[in-house]
Amino acid sequence: MDVQRFIQERRPGWQRLERLIEQAEASPDWELGKDRLQELLRLYRQACADLNQARSYTANPALLGRLNDLVGRGYRFVYRRRHGERMQKALARFFRFEVPRTFRLEKSAILAASAAFLLGTLFGFGAVILNPASGERLIPPEFFTEGPRERVERIEQGRERIDTAEEAMHFGVSLYTHNIQVSFLAFSLGATTILGGLWILFYNGVILGAIFAMYLLDGVTTFFLAWVGPHGALELPAIVFGGAAGLRAGHALLLPGDQSRASSLRQAFPSVWRMMAAAAAVLVMAGLIEGSFSQFSAKTVPYSLKIGVAAVLFGSLLGYLFFRRLPEESA
Amino acid sequence: MRDLRHRLILTPEQVEVRLAPAGAGSRFLALIVDGLIALSLSVFLGQLLMPLLPAGLGYALWATLNFVISWGYHVYFETYQDGRSPGKRLLGLRVVDGRGLPVAFQQAFVRNVMRILDGVPAFYALGALVCQLDGDGRRLGDLAADTLVVRERRSAEATRELARSLEQSSLRTPRLLRLLGRRLGLEEREFLLDLSLRAAEMEPKARFDLMEEVAAHYRQRLEIEGKGLSGENLVRGLTALLFWDRRGEHRGALAARMV
Repeated sequence: MDVQRFIQERRPGWQRLERLIEQAEASPDWELGKDRLQELLRLYRQACADLNQARSYTANPALLGRLNDLVGRGYRFVYRRRHGERMQKALARFFRFEVPRTFRLEKSAILAASAAFLLGTLFGFGAVILNPASGERLIPPEFFTEGPRERVERIEQGRERIDTAEEAMHFGVSLYTHNIQVSFLAFSLGATTILGGLWILFYNGVILGAIFAMYLLDGVTTFFLAWVGPHGALELPAIVFGGAAGLRAGHALLLPGDQSRASSLRQAFPSVWRMMAAAAAVLVMAGLIEGSFSQFSAKTVPYSLKIGVAAVLFGSLLGYLFFRRLPEESA
Repeated sequence: MRDLRHRLILTPEQVEVRLAPAGAGSRFLALIVDGLIALSLSVFLGQLLMPLLPAGLGYALWATLNFVISWGYHVYFETYQDGRSPGKRLLGLRVVDGRGLPVAFQQAFVRNVMRILDGVPAFYALGALVCQLDGDGRRLGDLAADTLVVRERRSAEATRELARSLEQSSLRTPRLLRLLGRRLGLEEREFLLDLSLRAAEMEPKARFDLMEEVAAHYRQRLEIEGKGLSGENLVRGLTALLFWDRRGEHRGALAARMV
């Protein structure tokens, strides 16, 4: 084969293909029109044939490299999955059907993650009730800046928290980012080691249980519930969901059974990512609540109302995920 | 010019396409660029929001926006800009899925959530380590989402520029043209072309030394007397003779690069 002539003959087709792909990547299919799309397909197949032919007759790395890139680019366009489904529609379907269905399907992972978290809570709670001094050892220093009672007094006697930027930032934002980290870390460690994910869940349960016990011992339980409740009702489930997604992924990766690891992971993937996406969405909602509603003190919003809101939030989250009757998907 | 590491994709047309996995270094640089962009975006939004809203609410909104930006940035670009965030675009990288197709939203989401583990303990140390061990240079997030980062070749633009600069050559004598045809093998010819193409990227001293060394080799092979030409001019002149004929046509490998 005369490489020189081959290149001269085919080059116009390749260049045309490249231009078409560029246009196609920049604009939706309908704008390109049927004729040009069909021309693109024809030129793509020709380029495939050219690459095969070039491979068998020459080792010229530059020619092969260019053709390889061109065919790769065409392949990426021709066989891509998404041909412009409206994002809104996809999102609606995702939250209406896919997320609740996944959570029902993956009950065992959710239960395992919740169990690890609750066991941790019980452990932390019990340890502090039995020996109040152990609280200081169980709770990391960043949460343990002041005793419960001093804090209640400071917050209730101080100005409205929502007006003081510094404090709102200190507690709102730092806990918020902390919980995101914990949720994602529980996922990552669960996905790679299972036990690591369980440990993160357990440990964060311990912290929660220990803090709760300390407020209980100081007799300020209502304050605790009102202060943590509204956002905690969403944030703690988000941590558990993240952990559960990690457990599911870890199970697929480490205990694939008689499947290959790759195929087992591929099978678990839809569940895993839906649980993660739900966790992220819940975290965003929790963050918004934490920054605003949770920061009101008893002077503005009575504790009972705050605790009530927390209960409603938690109840509707569980109801949405596990108990709502799912409509038919045809909608 | 052989890619030592590549992943083969078999398209439905039964053609093998090679993907060249990107290295940890360029990926980290791309990440720094992206990090700076995302950071300036959230600082900018913070400056915008803070004075408008009551402090507590402002912070809460800002923290949430921060969360959405820092985690959503890569997911958005990888899904809607065909695998390229601004940083990756700058460094010629692209995220593709395991079969060489564009990444789906789901995959982009998972590979980015895993950043928190790949980033352990700092500066993506774990991710970089896993990246070295994996044959396709994937970090943990890529493994979980079945994606990989590939590097794309430079555009033909650099080649066109070189071709334009090659139009003149004082070396064009019948004797030399004959010797070039007889004595130089394919590899020796293409080496000249590659060297000329990459010269612009080299550090000046290394460029000079390398050019002189290479020129000495070709002087000997082609029995070129006299040292009137600098090493670099000799290399460029020979490249021009080989890949640029009198009618202004590109030849051989140079033509192939301009496909």
